[in-house]
Amino acid sequence: MSSTKQLALVIDLNVCVGCHACVTSCKEWNTSGSAGPLTDLNAYGASPSGTFFNRVQTFEAGTFPNTQTVHFPKSCLHCEEPPCVPVCPTGASYKRKEDGIVLVDYDKCIGCSYCSWACPYGARELDQERQVMTKCTLCVDRIYSETLPESERKPACVMACPTSARIFGDIHDPESDASKAIAERSGYALMPEWETQPANHYLPRSIMETIEAARSDS
Amino acid sequence: MRPQFSIIFFTTLAGLAQGLLFFAALLNLFTPVLPTAFLTHLALPMSLGLLALGLVASFFHLGHPERAWRAATMWRTSWLSREVIALPALIAITCLIYFYAFISEVPQWLWLALLIMTIILWVCTAKIYQCIRFIQEWSHPSTLTNFTLLGMTSGLILLELLLLIWNKPIEGLEDSGLSIAIFCLLFVSLNLKLWIWRRNKGLKPISNLATATGIKGNPIRQTSMGLMGGSFNTREFFHHQTDRVISNIRKIILLCAYVLPMILIAISINTINIGVIALVLFIHIAGLLAERWMFFAEANHPQNLYYQRVS
Repeated sequence: MSSTKQLALVIDLNVCVGCHACVTSCKEWNTSGSAGPLTDLNAYGASPSGTFFNRVQTFEAGTFPNTQTVHFPKSCLHCEEPPCVPVCPTGASYKRKEDGIVLVDYDKCIGCSYCSWACPYGARELDQERQVMTKCTLCVDRIYSETLPESERKPACVMACPTSARIFGDIHDPESDASKAIAERSGYALMPEWETQPANHYLPRSIMETIEAARSDS
Repeated sequence: MRPQFSIIFFTTLAGLAQGLLFFAALLNLFTPVLPTAFLTHLALPMSLGLLALGLVASFFHLGHPERAWRAATMWRTSWLSREVIALPALIAITCLIYFYAFISEVPQWLWLALLIMTIILWVCTAKIYQCIRFIQEWSHPSTLTNFTLLGMTSGLILLELLLLIWNKPIEGLEDSGLSIAIFCLLFVSLNLKLWIWRRNKGLKPISNLATATGIKGNPIRQTSMGLMGGSFNTREFFHHQTDRVISNIRKIILLCAYVLPMILIAISINTINIGVIALVLFIHIAGLLAERWMFFAEANHPQNLYYQRVS
């Protein structure tokens, strides 16, 4: 690991209750912030469609009676080797050296969607109205804000989470809460097979280990 | 992936022009086989027209076409950026040959440059898809081979059509010889396509729900993708057609792009005329458009693992 900063989210699957507060707070902040507007088309019609940086999905694992419902928030993972960046023909897609955030320069983006094809996680969404690629910014306009109170200089999703399932920090700093959570609670990355080295990590549900142990006993 | 009509038209039309230019360059590389008047009246204007049409089609792919010039800046890392440079470069070399053909003889080095440039453009175009590691259908050298072979095949059919329109005997170039070459290219392309389809069928996805979510427990299934309306993720990465449509389009591809042209060429080998070869070209191009549609439709993107169930 290099000595530079890499900001990231660590998501605790033990406590996420799937309330979607992170989804709505993300949308609320970013549609009115520097990344916005995040357009909704046909918002009150039969088939609404909109741009979101963050989604909460739900998965079910195991066989009855040993099943678990897992709520699974998903946003840009701010990969250390982001496959979406080198493919961009204009340089609109870039990774910041100072903190590792992957961003899109909306004034340079030509809306070719190639970066979204090159992201295995489906983290990028082309805004239908603005016709530029958008994605999670880790609330770059909040975390360095000089006008917000210091306690609020965190991503909107982290502020909104009622169960503190989202830990924000520098994963290159071994003393950060995020790094400690990854180290102590076996934080893992998504789709490690593509060697993208996602900065965001997930903390596995410890209850699953209990279930697996119970199954192997019986 | 969702088939992108702008790219389907661009790759088919540009491939056709590249094929024509490739064979024009090849034939004139050592000794000028194709007469200058044929080049200036038919082959070169036709190639330039097709390349221009392709270029126009490609602009429809962009959300902000007015910023397209920016796409030439990241050629160090992006194959798309390299393609954006290679296409105008090919147009420029073709224009230069046009110019030379008008005033005097086309120099040998210019034919060589044209030959190399057509190949470079094929490489750039194919690499755009081939370099995406996790789209396993695309991430294979057969993507480049297929693009190149089909471009050459359609280009050679167009060359034969133009020569029949020209209607003057050309030394060292027999119509039946061209027909045999077209037949062989069609045969090789067909076998490559069948091999690609067999390979795609046998592909085992490297990513699955276990690696995509890291959730322990077997089986894992999605109960909600987290949204009930549409989103970019549900539109862009799937063809939105039924299995039946897909299998019918496969039949159309086999028939139109390969089998019918081969039959028509074979039965008319000694009685070749403009009507037959124009029909061959028309059917073949229709088949190629379907083939390019399928190239997108049959590519499976791992992001779809996250978008399986609405509830």
